[in-house]
Amino acid sequence: MLILSLALASLAPASKPLAPVSEVFAIRAEQLHLADGTVLENGLVLVDGDTIAAVGSGVSVPAGAALVEHAGHLTTGLIALGEHAGGSGELRDSTRTVLAGGRLAHAFAPGHSQLEALLAEGITSLVLAPSAGSLSAGCTAVVKSAGDTVVSERAQLHIGLSSASLLSNRRPTSYSGALRDLEALLSSAHGDFGAAARGELPVLIEARSRHEVQRAVAFVAEHKLRGAISGAPLAGELAADIAAAGLSVISDPRSPGASQRSIDALLSLAEAGVPFGFKLASPARHANTLRMGVALCVRRGLSPATALRSLTVDAARIAGVDERIGALATGRDADLVLWSGHPTDLTSSVKAVLIDGQLVYGEL
Amino acid sequence: MIPTLLLTLATAANLAPVTGTQDDERTRWSIHAEKIYAAPGELIENGSVRVDAGKITRLGSGGGGDISVYAITAGLVDASVRIHEDRLSVEESSEIQPALRVADTLDPFSHLWQRQLRSGVTTVMVSPLDRNVVGGLSVVLKTGGPENIAARTVAVDAALCGAIGSSPSRGNHAVYGLPTDFFSRRPTTRMGVEWEWRRAFYDAALAQRHGAELDEDARGLLQVLAGVRPLFIQAWATQDIRTAAFFVEEMAREDFGQIRLIVDAAAEAWKEPAFLVRTGAGVVLPPFPHNGRSGPDRAFTAWSSAAQLHAAGIPLALSSHGAQSPADRLDRQAGYAMRGGLPFDAALAAVTLTPARMLGVDESVGSIAVGKDADLVLWNGEPFAATSRAVGVLLEGRLIVDPREEN
Amino acid sequence: MSRRSTFNRVAPNRVALAALAALSIIAAPAGAEPATRTAPDDGDPAAESSEQYLINAGRVIVRPGEVLENVRILVRGGSIAALGRDVEAPEGIEEISGAVVCAGFIDPWSALGVDAGSLRDQRTEPATRTADAIDVHGQRHLRREALRAGVVAARVQAGGLARVGGVGAVVRLNPDLSAAEALVLPDAVLAMSVGLSRGGGAMDVFDRQGEVDRVRGALDSGLAYRQNEVEYRYDLEEWEKAMAEKEADLEKDFKKAKKDRDKGLAKAEEDDKEFKEKKYKEDKKPRKPSFDSNKAALARAAHGELPLVVQVHRAAELRELLKATAGVDRLRLVLAGATEAESVAETLVERRVSVLVAPSLARSDARDEWAGADLGLAGRLEQAGVEVLLGSGGETPDLTRDLPLLAASAVGHGLEREAAFEALTIGAARSLDVADQLGTVEVGKSADILVLDGAPLLGTTSVQYVFSAGRLVVTPQN
Repeated sequence: MLILSLALASLAPASKPLAPVSEVFAIRAEQLHLADGTVLENGLVLVDGDTIAAVGSGVSVPAGAALVEHAGHLTTGLIALGEHAGGSGELRDSTRTVLAGGRLAHAFAPGHSQLEALLAEGITSLVLAPSAGSLSAGCTAVVKSAGDTVVSERAQLHIGLSSASLLSNRRPTSYSGALRDLEALLSSAHGDFGAAARGELPVLIEARSRHEVQRAVAFVAEHKLRGAISGAPLAGELAADIAAAGLSVISDPRSPGASQRSIDALLSLAEAGVPFGFKLASPARHANTLRMGVALCVRRGLSPATALRSLTVDAARIAGVDERIGALATGRDADLVLWSGHPTDLTSSVKAVLIDGQLVYGEL
Repeated sequence: MIPTLLLTLATAANLAPVTGTQDDERTRWSIHAEKIYAAPGELIENGSVRVDAGKITRLGSGGGGDISVYAITAGLVDASVRIHEDRLSVEESSEIQPALRVADTLDPFSHLWQRQLRSGVTTVMVSPLDRNVVGGLSVVLKTGGPENIAARTVAVDAALCGAIGSSPSRGNHAVYGLPTDFFSRRPTTRMGVEWEWRRAFYDAALAQRHGAELDEDARGLLQVLAGVRPLFIQAWATQDIRTAAFFVEEMAREDFGQIRLIVDAAAEAWKEPAFLVRTGAGVVLPPFPHNGRSGPDRAFTAWSSAAQLHAAGIPLALSSHGAQSPADRLDRQAGYAMRGGLPFDAALAAVTLTPARMLGVDESVGSIAVGKDADLVLWNGEPFAATSRAVGVLLEGRLIVDPREEN
Repeated sequence: MSRRSTFNRVAPNRVALAALAALSIIAAPAGAEPATRTAPDDGDPAAESSEQYLINAGRVIVRPGEVLENVRILVRGGSIAALGRDVEAPEGIEEISGAVVCAGFIDPWSALGVDAGSLRDQRTEPATRTADAIDVHGQRHLRREALRAGVVAARVQAGGLARVGGVGAVVRLNPDLSAAEALVLPDAVLAMSVGLSRGGGAMDVFDRQGEVDRVRGALDSGLAYRQNEVEYRYDLEEWEKAMAEKEADLEKDFKKAKKDRDKGLAKAEEDDKEFKEKKYKEDKKPRKPSFDSNKAALARAAHGELPLVVQVHRAAELRELLKATAGVDRLRLVLAGATEAESVAETLVERRVSVLVAPSLARSDARDEWAGADLGLAGRLEQAGVEVLLGSGGETPDLTRDLPLLAASAVGHGLEREAAFEALTIGAARSLDVADQLGTVEVGKSADILVLDGAPLLGTTSVQYVFSAGRLVVTPQN
């Protein structure tokens, strides 16, 4: 590896001030992964400030710009959906069933110690989502795992349609009551619910068992919402219905020991063309669980390219932030991960991570 | 004669290599039986039923069959089934919920549907859990078919369901200090439950009478007063059955409307049938208990109760009321009722045509007739006899349980 | 299984390690060891398999670092019957082709194959045999999944969290084998633990140290028991020898002895004293020590006949345990879990203690002793020169299936790929004393092998065929 800036030779943990590589620099990698699944041999990424200025094989490096050679794979940063790290355990208000206008972004603590573990696994963005228990806990937020960047503070409108949202001593106690209350909120046309009803804001619908998924799909179709279903291990068994409704799926973390049936359900989603991404739910889960989830799927036959998409561009689309993150493309945030091998192979390790053009983990 | 025989042989030969999976898809069947109980009082001996594309296309004497069994009845109909998500099936935040649908709470993937279907029950009404005074709108659906509630539905909003007795008040309490949940403002006695019934209907009827704006709850209650759909009131004990009858009479007396009352789980209806006759109410009986008493109010059921209600001329349906033990299955209930003196045809009616009429779905199910749904139960002996059982089941022309696979 | 065949199956190094072997193992009183009663007497348990296959392999990883190109492997009678370029294909044999052939993976710390009750049993004793609790046909679905992932055998252990878990067994995971075929080694290791949170919260530090002392105390009682036994054997032999000599003497000098006695008698009469018969020390036959199955099992561990696997995590307990066991020369110690083992890495290298790491992704529900566990441990220990084994942790049966992925994660966090492969194959086999049957692809070994479409432990590689005791149990079609 060549590096022109000596100051960067030491490992830089997230909590320390971020070290700029230089204003304009380039990284050339043996394998460079583009959003559409193609891999460029000896591809080059040119970074200008905090954004990607150019990507390609024939990109010329401006005079005076640093060039880093990487003997390995280069991808954009991974995205963890349904994340709790950095939220200081304050991602749900337990006394309110509906927190219309609630913002999870306001619970984000930049530089939180829980975020360091994410960098070590190549995770550069996370979607802060509420823990289960509300009919609607407000809007999820997309933040970076280092620095204080909030990519979106109004990413998805959270809707709880699982039994976990139905408490026996608080309205609503039943599925039918929940549907009625949600319909009333959507028809009010105010605020986030109004935006969701008009299709401007994607929804994140929590559902666990298959009948809850079916109910959620019917609800989405009836109200012409767009978004993703989250928390149903067997959602893939209803892949056709989900695809027909134009929904995506946010899979629960798939740890070692996950049932084969739930892995096969995810494969059915891929087959039906339903985009999906993975929750991580750290700090409760080890950050490696994100890659473990796709490794479990790859072992059952998911293509590594689709697997990588689920951690990057598809996840970004689910969170509604694909304009900014999730791909190595001109104009996107310069969130880069340098790997020793293919990122969906667990034997590959993270060599370096850059967020917004700044080195935040490892060395170049 | 000879061509028929040849044809039969040819059919048999064709059948031999047919595998199970092909049979699953097949919807054309001809079934021969020594006895076809087409409808109560309508017996065809040595006949056959032909079905095609989900409907019954021919019924008559003679004729060969792909399958031959001893007896055929229509698919059984259970007007009181509780395959639901328990407390998630009823909205308890308010005790009167006339506009909520239990259909929105069901799980089509539950294994309990299959259990009903395999025992010969092809059509059921599911009502919400009895935790509320007025629980909501029930749904009538088939027990098999696509794993999707809407696709299985025969009748939406079939009845408005509620309860009188101790169930709706159980767990409610007075306020001690500050109220912590809504269970402190709900009725705590059966008297309070009865009062809630009257208050809700009075409010709705008077609001209409005075031209006030009607919300969706009021509209739901007014539809029942207008006779759009029947009112199922769960009432196990004598006092609650009376209360239900008096309530319906009071609504008529006040000129609010004539409610079509069905008393569900009416275990003690046999004690005072006169009130029910007077109001024109129907009765759905819960399973016969093994020790005489059952239900939340420890109501007493006599073995002869079905026979007595039938003798009094009250429309009678039997049900499993959500019980899951094999002894509580619907076909067994018919057998028990016969042992208590109910004639066979009345027992058959009580598990097929009568509940179908109560639920307003007798156009399509409840008896074997050309044009009706091809829901059939195939028996290896006299239906409901202790020594026979359902060996085959067809649902909308599909062979769900194949008698040829039975030993 | 008869006692004779038990000894047939003891690995040679095990016999060699036991210096007192001649006296103590072979001459041990009948029943001194728990009776082994699993495999039939007729030698190789896999001999029953009548299946035979010829594998055309692009590459055979015989053992880590030893690779053969373009060879054919004949699988017959449950074993690898031939391996080489010129292996003749018997007529009508089923041929299989694959890019890479390697030994099947072994999970040396698994929960698959024993019921949850036995796993959580806290009242196990040193003599408790997991082999008695194994249901070789249970958890069929999970076993098949594990086979598909390439895990062919596992060490299962009752009483995984107990202070003393008893004797663990090595089993094949193929659910279609008979009990006799499935059990590779019924008495494989003795398991103990130190300082685990068992049900309640974390233990206090004094109790934890107390558990270290208990381990040493248990080993001492085993040593004393064996010492007693050895002394008895020695005394008995001496006594028998003395008795024989004396008898011969008496025979030879019978006349002289009679004369001496008569003389003595006469003299006593003369002196008016009581005659004293001459006493022989040979009259005192040594007393046989009473049999104690627990101490016998501990003795086997203390003498290195069984490896002792101790689950221990914290630095203080690791240090104290190593100190406490320093004097037990023949002990073959394996540390399991060993979250903070880096602090004692030097001693581990010096004493040749291997570490059984469970590359755990557990976080919030982690018990106190696991706090600080990370995926890099295996890599760092290996860097320090410690022999590393990888296991699924012995608590969740489903994890055995995913051991290859956990191993891959350990590689992604610093463990050498070759070391991870070794840990899953010959490393595990060696430490569990089943290297004579499993762990490498060699003629004469049991055919528990994998056919892969690429290098092992790579994300893009899939398991094509799996052989278990010579039977083809996984194909791309099933």
